[in-house]
Amino acid sequence: MEYRHITPRPVITVDEAACGNAVLCLKCVKACLDAGPNCIGFINTTPPPVGENAPQRLEDIPHSIIFSGMVNCNGCGKCIDVCPKGALTLQMPEPQAPAARVQHADVVFCGTLRDGTKVFPRD
Amino acid sequence: MCRYCVEYGGGTKWYLNPDNYRDELYTKGIHESTTRMLGGVMKNTFEVGAMSNVDLMAPDLYYSGNLSIALEQVTAHGGQIVPLEDALKIIDLCHGPFLLAHCACRRYFGRKDVIRCLYFWPTVETSLKERPWEKDSRVISKEEARKFERECDKKGFLHSIWHAGVDSDGIPPIVICHCTATDCIPTKFRLSYGVMNGQRKGEYVSVADPLKCQKGCKDYPVCMPRCQFGAMRYSPVDRLLYIDPQNCFGCGLCRSACPHGAIKLVDRLSFPSLVDNW
Repeated sequence: MEYRHITPRPVITVDEAACGNAVLCLKCVKACLDAGPNCIGFINTTPPPVGENAPQRLEDIPHSIIFSGMVNCNGCGKCIDVCPKGALTLQMPEPQAPAARVQHADVVFCGTLRDGTKVFPRD
Repeated sequence: MCRYCVEYGGGTKWYLNPDNYRDELYTKGIHESTTRMLGGVMKNTFEVGAMSNVDLMAPDLYYSGNLSIALEQVTAHGGQIVPLEDALKIIDLCHGPFLLAHCACRRYFGRKDVIRCLYFWPTVETSLKERPWEKDSRVISKEEARKFERECDKKGFLHSIWHAGVDSDGIPPIVICHCTATDCIPTKFRLSYGVMNGQRKGEYVSVADPLKCQKGCKDYPVCMPRCQFGAMRYSPVDRLLYIDPQNCFGCGLCRSACPHGAIKLVDRLSFPSLVDNW
């Protein structure tokens, strides 16, 4: 699939080595939630072990920061300010002239039919 | 009826078809992998990991086809809004016990923990065994689950039924989530990226009776703050509520708040313009 248009949005990158185990801090997550967009979340880096060595607390599992739904980011930069380790960088999109957009036929009503046929949206 | 119901409903809605609740479905094909991930140690990787890829997969806000396909064919997990009466029927259809677990969209995005996800039996044992750090999960009976559904409806949480993959053998439902449009990540993607297969609209739409509505609340319509989707407009001149069927998700929360019985849910297909609006 070739994209004819890319919606501009801010990009935040995290230096994972500087960040460490995100679940111990989460200041940027809270800051983004309080600011409104709620784009920052955290995820375990690898699935935790099962059985006797299974972690007993969420804090025992290594987590890293993720960014999701960045079109909602308003670029306020509060996550950058609040980070005690300076691990985040924010890059705002270049200003763009408004472009005509093609609305694709992208609706998938039901991907697999009863007889096993796969249905994909038309381009 | 939506396309899921046409293919897998057996004459009714897909989530009310007992055929989709067969025990063996949860241990087959794509249903098995989704069930194992949601009911095991991979839950966070699966749920939040899918969210972390959204920006890569949707470079253009006006093209969500890739995401819709990925949700059906790869993640094999999608949902649909259901009103209270259907949620209660779903609980009657599956055998207990149920696992009341934290909401990943809230916990892993910094919100206060809310224990609002009602998982069905195939995930209960493995969840408790593989995720010992989730000490706030608890197992509840069918009766408690019904009570919980009513409580959620009263408080203003949407009910949505989530499946473990669509395949030619059926769509096994696996969890009922109770969210709001501000917190629920698939609903946010639906509203900001137009990804249909994350959170589908329900099988109903709300319709207000103008006479009852006019006589009722007068200046402050109590149903309006309950709408998560901006489907309601209130005119202080007419003292009347207007519901936009194009935006209505059919959750029924406005109906349960209306003290005058002015709102009812009708089948989505009773509006010809909504036939393909899910």
